[in-house]
Amino acid sequence: MINIIAIQSILQSFVSDISDIQGATLVSPDGLAIASALPERVDEERIAAMTAAMLSIGERIGRELARGQIDRVIVVGEKGYSVLVNCSDDAVLLILANANAKQGLLFLEIKRAVAELVPLLAEQPKANLLT
Amino acid sequence: MEVLRIVITGAVGAGKTTLIRTISEIQVVDTDRQATDETALLKPTTTVAFDFGRLTFAPNQALHLYGTPGQARFDFIWDILIQKAHAYIFLVDAHRPQDFRSGRRILSFMNQRAKIPMLIGLTHMDCPGAWDLDDIALALGLFDEATRPAMVPINPTQPSSVSQALMRLVQELMKAPVLN
Repeated sequence: MINIIAIQSILQSFVSDISDIQGATLVSPDGLAIASALPERVDEERIAAMTAAMLSIGERIGRELARGQIDRVIVVGEKGYSVLVNCSDDAVLLILANANAKQGLLFLEIKRAVAELVPLLAEQPKANLLT
Repeated sequence: MEVLRIVITGAVGAGKTTLIRTISEIQVVDTDRQATDETALLKPTTTVAFDFGRLTFAPNQALHLYGTPGQARFDFIWDILIQKAHAYIFLVDAHRPQDFRSGRRILSFMNQRAKIPMLIGLTHMDCPGAWDLDDIALALGLFDEATRPAMVPINPTQPSSVSQALMRLVQELMKAPVLN
């Protein structure tokens, strides 16, 4: 079994401990939520689907334009950042941060969160993601 | 070069990606990912953004083909693609009546957003248990034979069948008043 409680708590403390981070969600590459710590008003199902679409387009652009393996996809708006990082073959992490977030710190924190999440995902055979 | 943007839509497993792969003259840009929901019972991978293919059919005319995802959670992609489309094909898997409902939802979604020429492509007509054309029309809520869109059987794996359907759609497009 995947340790969903541990994953959930990593996401939750990530969002609550770092002031400029507003939300985080871990989704499957085909756009289904695995675990989330998102603001109340957002629709988890929709965000999960958008995350998958965004990463797949980002990766495709990376491939077509010979940018190599895609590290992350970032959308910057006047109200903040959406950052997408590949966690493993089975999971993509989306982070929402407000416009005050310092980029360097943001990426460092995301890197740490990914490092915490990866072992929890890696132990699991793929079939366990089926719910 | 005149470009006509054609959207290929329909429920999961109707044959959208296959159709574009069959007819595209360029290597298809796809965004397939391993399926982990009920789609996995039907096929190993599923489109999560869109497929893109191209077909040049006259010296200065080309079709750009955009295939949508089938699952409703990707309806924001349906919206993006249909807004810019000149025409679309709605695919229905004739031997999976359990999908007609979700197909109907896609159809009404598209109808609300775009008043553009379209046709309904019926796939898997040769499979056992396939419904016939009139029954599918009724299942999709298209009760009036005179006003319903053109419905044609398509084999998405066969280039001649796909190009025939596309040419039919282009004809519909030529009949329609010019919009933009």
